[in-house]
Amino acid sequence: MTTPGLRQRSAHTDEEQGRVRAVAASARGACKVYGAGETAVAALDDVTLDLPAGRFTAIMGPSGSGKSTLMHCLAGLDTLTSGQVLIGGTDLASLSDKERTILRRDRLGFVFQAFNLLPTLTAEENITLPVDLAGHAPEHEWFGTVVDTLNLRDRLRHRPSELSGGQQQRVAVARALITRPDVVFADEPTGALDRKAGVELLRFLRSVVDDLGQTVVMVTHDPGAAAYADRVVFLVDGGIVEELTEPTRERVLEIMGRLGD
Amino acid sequence: MLRLSLRNLLVSKLRLFLTVAAVTVGVSFVSGTFVLSDTMAKAFDELYVGLTNGTDVVVKSQPAFEADITTNGGQVRPIDEAMVDQVRAVPGVALARGSVTGFALILDKEGRPIQPGGAPTFGASIGDARLSGDFVYRQGLEPTRSDQVAIDARTADQAGFVLGDRIDVVFQSGRQTFTLVGTIGFGETDSLLGATMAGFDLTTAQRLFDKVGLVDEIDVQAQRGVGAEELRDRIAATLPDGVEALTGDQVAADGSAAVRDAMGIFTQVLLVFAGISLLVGSFVIWNTFNVLVAQRRREVALMRAVGATRGQVLRGVLLEALLVGTFSGGLGLGLGVGLAAGIRSLLKLVGVEMPTTSPAVEPRTIVAALLVGVLVTMVAAIAPAWAATRVAPMEALRDAVPARYAAGWSRSVAGGVLLTAGSAGLVACIVVGDQRWWTVLSTLVTFAGLVVAGPTLARLTAAAADHGRRGGGWRMAARNVERSARRSAATALALTIGLTVVVAVAVSAASLRESVADAVSGGNRSDLILEPAGAGLGVSPAVADLLRDRDDVADVVELRETGARVNGHDSLVSAMNADGLGRVIDLGIEEGSLDTFGPGAVLVSTQRAEDLGVGVGDSVTVTFPETGSTTMRVAATFSRGALINASYVLALPDFAANVTSELDAAILVNSAPGVDPAQGKEDITAALADYPNVTVNSPDDITEKAQSSVNQLLGIVTALLLLAVVVAVLGIVNTLVLSVVERTRELGLLRAVGGTRRQVRTVVRRESVLMSLLGAVTGVALGTVSGVALSRALVDEGFTTVAVPTVTLAIYLLVAAAVGVLAAIGPARRASRVDVLRAIASE
Repeated sequence: MTTPGLRQRSAHTDEEQGRVRAVAASARGACKVYGAGETAVAALDDVTLDLPAGRFTAIMGPSGSGKSTLMHCLAGLDTLTSGQVLIGGTDLASLSDKERTILRRDRLGFVFQAFNLLPTLTAEENITLPVDLAGHAPEHEWFGTVVDTLNLRDRLRHRPSELSGGQQQRVAVARALITRPDVVFADEPTGALDRKAGVELLRFLRSVVDDLGQTVVMVTHDPGAAAYADRVVFLVDGGIVEELTEPTRERVLEIMGRLGD
Repeated sequence: MLRLSLRNLLVSKLRLFLTVAAVTVGVSFVSGTFVLSDTMAKAFDELYVGLTNGTDVVVKSQPAFEADITTNGGQVRPIDEAMVDQVRAVPGVALARGSVTGFALILDKEGRPIQPGGAPTFGASIGDARLSGDFVYRQGLEPTRSDQVAIDARTADQAGFVLGDRIDVVFQSGRQTFTLVGTIGFGETDSLLGATMAGFDLTTAQRLFDKVGLVDEIDVQAQRGVGAEELRDRIAATLPDGVEALTGDQVAADGSAAVRDAMGIFTQVLLVFAGISLLVGSFVIWNTFNVLVAQRRREVALMRAVGATRGQVLRGVLLEALLVGTFSGGLGLGLGVGLAAGIRSLLKLVGVEMPTTSPAVEPRTIVAALLVGVLVTMVAAIAPAWAATRVAPMEALRDAVPARYAAGWSRSVAGGVLLTAGSAGLVACIVVGDQRWWTVLSTLVTFAGLVVAGPTLARLTAAAADHGRRGGGWRMAARNVERSARRSAATALALTIGLTVVVAVAVSAASLRESVADAVSGGNRSDLILEPAGAGLGVSPAVADLLRDRDDVADVVELRETGARVNGHDSLVSAMNADGLGRVIDLGIEEGSLDTFGPGAVLVSTQRAEDLGVGVGDSVTVTFPETGSTTMRVAATFSRGALINASYVLALPDFAANVTSELDAAILVNSAPGVDPAQGKEDITAALADYPNVTVNSPDDITEKAQSSVNQLLGIVTALLLLAVVVAVLGIVNTLVLSVVERTRELGLLRAVGGTRRQVRTVVRRESVLMSLLGAVTGVALGTVSGVALSRALVDEGFTTVAVPTVTLAIYLLVAAAVGVLAAIGPARRASRVDVLRAIASE
């Protein structure tokens, strides 16, 4: 599945920018506390985590483990109570709401579980939305590459209501990729899909990492989905308890079973 | 069900507020109008009863017919003073006293006329206080000498007069100075509806009003034990033909009714404005309920799934409408009472003092307010309620995405047909002219076409705006307008109604202004036109005599007016001097000639001659209210009466013989050859120093005056109509808020993928501007065409020219766009504050 050419191209781009991007995003001592005083609940408790560039990382954990909160904080959708989130060297806490919005637009990509697309826009318009919001013209070649990788070429003129759930999620992935982001965050991207479409989407995400050299972080509770990642991080009660590289479904299940006790 | 409906209503206080506001404005207008007119009617009744309190019988000349009080001031032929003694001799009479009234204009300390807007300025003999119960001296006492006067307390108060001051008063015959000896009140109020009054003793009054040896009426009080009706009959038996006796109660009722009739038109106009507000309001309500139902589709579907019948769903929504309608109706009623009080204070500010009484809230007003509130709301809610029953239970399980409005092909065609028919009708009306009812009908048909084709128009608007950068502001705004084309159309149409009427009025007013200018430049041949200042009743005929004696004046032609009947049709009849008539005005003689015009002859406008079926040489019967019928010969027909607003012109001697008032409505003057017009104006103004109530105008001044009074009227009408526009703007706010609420997830998504708050605000704002512009463009277009057609239809009323005020219309368009921006401020802010995390949270 690996296409060395594209990987090289990605590395080449990094060198041109004068820095080697070993880490796409990271959290340092990240704490998130909801409420105050006696009723305070720590959703994240001193989480430190590096997300290497060009890799596919899955974040797992039981309900209430803080995995969604971690992703929202990493993605600049939510703010930490203390600690740091760095996106390509930028400390999110130092940014204003507007600066964070623009960072999301230009350097991050999102795929949510459902309701990813604006119903009034066509697939193509949805894909180019972040570029359009920035007031730029989409890079024609990259747009073509993304569309072809996700096999959306003949769906571009359709509106979301005319697409299947799987197709809608692929459009969302394409939209997330259009700005060549530092990181693509996916929050249970297969949660609303049937098994076949889910597997198909995971393969596409895999090829996004392997063929396009992109960085993907996925929150999931499905061990099968996590098995597509290069690395799985397990969260319990707001803290990282395990890490697994080169995961298989069985090993993930085994750890989940252990953590569940 | 009731509890659920109530809870649904209270869920969104803002939505409730906007919906209620839309109905309340209209209802308060309706109830305010009723309360005001009922209160005034009640007050007039009380006032007239109060004034005639103590008078059991009134003796006066019998009018030939009851003319409109505004055209002849209620003047009847004076009767011989000797009749007072004759009446006093009738058995059962305790007191009998003659009285006279006439024109009397009080001047303030600076010599300026005291002339409250529109109200009469009159003088009267002050009779026996026992004969007019509510008539009281606030200060001082009765005038008894020829150099003494008593005036109404309000005028004294406003002009700062105190007892002993010297006061100048202008009469028909000229100006005189008096000493103030008393101030008069009428029951609780200090003036009679804002009129100024100067009171004199009877002999002085008779001399001042040129009625020596005459009285206008005789007031009689019965001896104890003698009934008013019995005494009336006894007196009537002794009276000659043409003189009648009435009971005091009858006179009070007639007087009050006459004033109320004159104010009836005012009530009707207010009700028309109320109707327009309600129509606009109903669009807003329709929209609100539509959105409300759309928003609650899942909830309705869930209820259907757990077993609610369609009927229950329908009743639930209608019950909500009923609650909103009743509440708004009640609120509108309350506000209406306040509004009535507000209008009263406003009238007081401009000098029309209404007699005070408690506000009259008749049962009819309460019923009307509640009925209007409930009916408008229910009718507007029926279609949305019906739509709610069509929600399938399955929808409870799906994600609630606002349904896209499917293009109704047949609806577009039907709308197109109506639009074409209506516009064709309007164009035909413009070409043919003089088609009032067809104009109104065509406008309504065109509007119906707009309503039916509305969604199509909204989609076209969206398509026109749908370009530029993909995903950029206009595109997303356009797509949102298109998605809910029906709602956008209804929102815009509320604005369309308001603007159509505002623009039609503006176009008509512009046409009228032009017509006035044309009438003056085309019909006038005089150098100077003298008119009463402000809303004065008239110019003393002494002024004309003064002018005739001057060397620098060649022609002096007086113009007088009164209400009369010509061949049985009520009309305003004018009179002018035959001598010099053709030199001061070009009446546009069509048949016959001015040479044969003089006593016994009448000039008739071509249109009226046609209506009456008479021609030159034929006879017409003119009936004067005071004196009865006279036969006159038609000397000529004319086509340009607009300048003097005349349909019939008599010779002055005929007029004077039949009308007591000698006041001139205007005097047209030609300077002697070789006199510089500006110098002439200056000299004559100086010579009329004793008549400060007369203005000397050049033809340009007249044009300007007439145009500014048209502008004033336009201002008042526009202000009233703006209320309807305000309701429409509330509708835009309403629609925007609801669509923002509906699209919370979309907005959150937009923010998540990098839309800044500013960009989100921009989308909402542009959506608002698109809807406003749709409403504005259709409203201005329809209003312009209707206005032109209306101006063409009113050619008889002096609309001889059609003018379209393009600058004003452009301003309306710009204002509408600005209104769109303003209406979007709140909703846009709300949209930009959407909580991203909550919006995108998976369920």
